Amino acid sequence: MKTIDEVIKAKTTGLYYGNRLIIPFQAHFLKVVIENEIITDFSSGSKGIIVNEEDDFTNLYFLDYKDLKNSLTKYESIKFVVVEKGKDIFNLKNHKKIAVYLEEKHKARIEETDADILFIE
Amino acid sequence: MKKYSPALILFFVLISDFLIASDSGSVISETQTVHQLPDTLMVIPFILLLLMIATGPLFYKHFWEHNYPKIAISLGIVTVVYYLVFLKDAHSLLHTLTEYLSFIALLSSLFVASGGILIKVDKKSTPLLNVFFLAFGAIISNVIGTTGASMLLIRPFIKINQNRIKPYHIIFFIFIVSNIGGALTPIGDPPLFLGFLRGVPFFWVIENVWYIWIPAMILILALFFIVDSFNKGNEETKLQQTYSGKIEFKGLKNLIYLGIIILSVFIDPGVLSFVPSLAPFPIGIREIIMFLVVYISFKTADKEVLKANEFDFEPIKEVAYLFVGIFATMIPALQLIAHEASVLRDELNAGIFYWATGILSGLLDNAPTYLNFLSAAMGKYGLDINIKSEVQEFVIHDEIYLQAISVAAVFFGAITYIGNGPNFMVKSICERAGINMPSFFTYIFRYSIIILIPIFTIIWYIFFLGKG
Repeated sequence: MKTIDEVIKAKTTGLYYGNRLIIPFQAHFLKVVIENEIITDFSSGSKGIIVNEEDDFTNLYFLDYKDLKNSLTKYESIKFVVVEKGKDIFNLKNHKKIAVYLEEKHKARIEETDADILFIE
Repeated sequence: MKKYSPALILFFVLISDFLIASDSGSVISETQTVHQLPDTLMVIPFILLLLMIATGPLFYKHFWEHNYPKIAISLGIVTVVYYLVFLKDAHSLLHTLTEYLSFIALLSSLFVASGGILIKVDKKSTPLLNVFFLAFGAIISNVIGTTGASMLLIRPFIKINQNRIKPYHIIFFIFIVSNIGGALTPIGDPPLFLGFLRGVPFFWVIENVWYIWIPAMILILALFFIVDSFNKGNEETKLQQTYSGKIEFKGLKNLIYLGIIILSVFIDPGVLSFVPSLAPFPIGIREIIMFLVVYISFKTADKEVLKANEFDFEPIKEVAYLFVGIFATMIPALQLIAHEASVLRDELNAGIFYWATGILSGLLDNAPTYLNFLSAAMGKYGLDINIKSEVQEFVIHDEIYLQAISVAAVFFGAITYIGNGPNFMVKSICERAGINMPSFFTYIFRYSIIILIPIFTIIWYIFFLGKG
């Protein structure tokens, strides 16, 4: 399985179908922001998101959305604060901010957020 | 979020069709129209909408997020049908539609034009820098309006504070830049602009409000400085951070669009006599220019800037939907208030005008509230708000009332998220940046009542108590 850094460096894209986002890595999720919804509850009872891990990727189901593509413009992203699996979650240096942009043909472009993007952890 | 624009369009088309048919060829004149007062029960849709705006995001978030456009429009339609069928009063609806379109044209054009501008401030955040930043925002809001200043400055304000940002930063930003700052010129805030259109001289506001504005700003900024001084931020992150001290500006051409919007606010038959009126259509040349700016500035904006600003129409859509409901449902509330004010006008002093205009500006939209109370105050002297020369006479006659109404309409717009258009937009932008914003009630009880109401009480005590 690829690490988050490898995915970003290799510009590996994820996928999306309806309200399902598939990202090609596993991580501890700390915060997700989609539109003006801030999700920090990743428990099985979460009303905003279901996180479902497979061997080589992670499925994220956004429960408030029927179709992600219809909800986000090309300038908007779904933003994540994540920690690589196996790394110390308590070390803030390991906290990564990534942004996922939805493109054509179900591709989800994954980038580390640049300095211009406003994203408060 | 679902799209309901066809429903909105249908709503406008239905109203416009009916109004054009019923008003065929007549010129709208408030002086010539006397309408029956609405039933008191007709304020229920308005109260219901306000309650839902307050409680929806708290107690039934998912239902609210998916259905607020339907709810706002449905409640608005109840009022519209009542006015058309029972009161046969198309004029009040057309007047409100005109005000709504004017309101949304200004907000949307400022929102889109400023969305194409990126200001990057790479400086270390300190309480003093924040105070200067907010003071600058307050001053600039008198030049580009509270909406323009809010949209332009909220992102750099969050950016410089990103390692220590707390909700109070945003709340004070809403207080100062999105509201109170813009009390010095008619461009600053919509109610003052409506007053200007009715005949209040352009510089009357600054001449008569500056000595209330300055102490209010000093008090709020001093409170902010004290609160911000206790915020030490994230020490670990701060140690790692280096600052270039640079201020970068991208999207220069959008400044021209902002300039066009500001100039276009004067393109009104009431200000420039050569500007044609498009009555009975609920839109003027000014609104057409503003909507054109929305289109052109979005189409020609720097894509990198839009991406950096994560540009999305959702915040302005949210304002457009909620306020279409607010504008429609508040018609009976405003008419009943205006009626009561005119009945009791001899008993009303400047202090009562101050508090009544203020509290209602916080709960209703401040622009029509301002006009209704101005109308009631002028009624004390037998003057008519619809006659420009009489407004000018009133200004000379006894400025304390206009002063109280002007200050209250602008200042109290800060006490709720719905008090002024930019409040909601700032909230939405902050949530998209990952900042958990206070709920409707928390905003009022933890911030407005504790910070603003004591300051507004001091202002009342010094400037308006026992006067008029």
